[in-house]
Order: sequence, then C-alpha cells, then structure tokens
Amino acid sequence: MSKVIVITSGKGGVGKTTSTANIGAGLARMNKKVVLVDTDIGLRNLDVVMGLENRIIYNLVDVIEGNCRIRQALIRDKHYPGLYLLPSAQTRDKSAVSPEQMIKLVDGLKPLFDYILLDCPAGIEQGFRNAIAAADQAVVVTTPEVSAIRDADRIIGLLEADGIKKIDLILNRIRIDMVRRGEMMSTEDVLDILAVNLLGAVPDEESVVIAANHGESLIGSNTLAGQAFLNIARRLDGETVPLLDLQTSTSLFQKIASVFRGRESH
Amino acid sequence: MNSRRYASFLTSGEIAKNRAVLTVASDRLNASPEELQQMKKEIADILTRYLNLNDAFEIRVDLIQKRNQGVQDVKTIQIK
Repeated sequence: MSKVIVITSGKGGVGKTTSTANIGAGLARMNKKVVLVDTDIGLRNLDVVMGLENRIIYNLVDVIEGNCRIRQALIRDKHYPGLYLLPSAQTRDKSAVSPEQMIKLVDGLKPLFDYILLDCPAGIEQGFRNAIAAADQAVVVTTPEVSAIRDADRIIGLLEADGIKKIDLILNRIRIDMVRRGEMMSTEDVLDILAVNLLGAVPDEESVVIAANHGESLIGSNTLAGQAFLNIARRLDGETVPLLDLQTSTSLFQKIASVFRGRESH
Repeated sequence: MNSRRYASFLTSGEIAKNRAVLTVASDRLNASPEELQQMKKEIADILTRYLNLNDAFEIRVDLIQKRNQGVQDVKTIQIK
C-alpha cells in the first residue's frame, strides 16, 4: 500500500521543498519507489531543487486535464532510478486544480510507487487544500522562530480538522551555537509548544545552500544535514533511529550565568 | 557594524519561547495575548477568593468540545 505524505508548513521559506527533495532521495536510497509531486502551481520549485528544471515537458496540470498520460509527465531523478518528479505548472495558478482532481491524480500514482510525497505550497488557501486532500499523513516543517512556530501550530490545527491524524514535525535550520548561547529556541522548546512527534531536526549548514546551487540532494554526502535527512527518511519508513547529537539544551552553568547577565552588546 | 545594547535578564531565546507560547495560546483560543493575561489573572483571583488556594497550587482549565464519532477536542489553559 502506498503512503501518501504531504509536506507542509504554513510559513514560506522554512524548507518544505528542500525537505521533500532530500527525504525523497533518502527513501530512494533505501530502494523505495518514490514520486515527489510539486503541488505549488504557478511557483514551481521542486524541479529546480532537484536539478531537473531542463527536463520538464509535461506537468501535473497536463495530466489532470488529460493532455498526456501520467508516465509522460514523470521525470526520473539524475541519481536514483527509483525516484521520480511530477513537476508543477509554472504558467497556471492554484485555481487550475481542485481537491477532487488531486485525489484522482494521486490514485493514479499509487500503483506505481511506495511513497508519494506532496510538496505543499505556503499558505492555507487553495494550494494547501489541494495538497492535503489526497494525503494520509503529514510532515510539518518549521524553524525555531516565533512566526514559523505560530504558523506551524495553525497548520497542525487545520490538518487535524481535516482528519489527518498522523502528523510529524521536522525542525529545520537549527543553529547549535546559537541554541547554546540561548539566542535560539531549542528542540525541546519547540516541542513544548507544538506537542507533535518529532521526525527529526536538521542543522543550518552551508552545505544546504551549496547543494541547492548544484541542484543536488545532501543524501550520501558527508554532512550533518544530509545525515539528518537520511535519518528522517528512515524514521518515516518505520525505523527507530536515535537523534543526532546536535546538543540542543544549554548547560546548567549557562542557565545560572544567564540569571546574572546584565547589559549585552551586539 | 551596528551594535545594540539590550538590558535583559533573559536570553533572546527565552524571550522568543515566551512570546511563542503566548502567541500560539492566544491564536488557539481566539483571544489577544493581553485578553488572555487579564482572563488568567481574573480566574486566579476569583478561585483564590473562594477556595483559599496558596501558591503551591497550579490551576489549569480544560475546554472540552465534543465532536462526532466520540472525538473530543480539548484545549488546556494553564492559569497559574
């Protein structure tokens, strides 16, 4: 039975597309058959992150409107033979697709793949509604910032109201040095507030930007972010993987020192 | 490079956490942060007046909304 997972956040720019691409690569590396569906109609990005922007002929709107068969629109990944992209349309907008059409599209993909990952656009409007319509479970991506957490909480509420019960969290862009200094919320802080299962925490690293420049995933690279994404893929598949030691809690000494802290200059 | 001086006994991370907790709570309950603070204070005052509660007591309120198929939606508000 295929698993259909929507990757969403509410807030834009927190790492949904990056996470989708890397988790997809991780699952493909584990020999699963995976399709990544870009549901952001009008502002497509998954193709660019995967380095497949020059290979697009048909997109998901073409499939839905019957201009082509599903297989004609699927683009195979450059590295993993079991990983495919179903790109979005750049010259249409979110009104081009309805939730019912999305469900029908995903039903057409289910016989072909073990995992169907839906990269959801930012926001809570039509694009979001389309993306969650066909999903069985959700992965919410957030960063350790007040605004991202607020949006993530709202999204979690909307997912639960829509009947999606399995909701996991990815905490992206953790900067351990800042957490140690008390200048960034820790993983524990975020989980205290959002109270959903943590799928994994990904550190903020230059390697992520560099990989995006190349249009490559981080899976298999000797980076902490790459390892974090691979672990997330493994956990999604049901494996128990211990969290990477990102040292997210401040020491007792630092807590005491912070009580005596007076003026700070930046 | 600009430098700013912050007079603070809390780190920015702790401030962010407090703000996030308050913002999320007020969003969930559809009340502004100020209204929430005021509501908590009034509830604590009223209960303490009738029930002789000292500082050792925590006060928590559960708002329970019954939905169909036996599902319950519970919002917990930490008063004190």
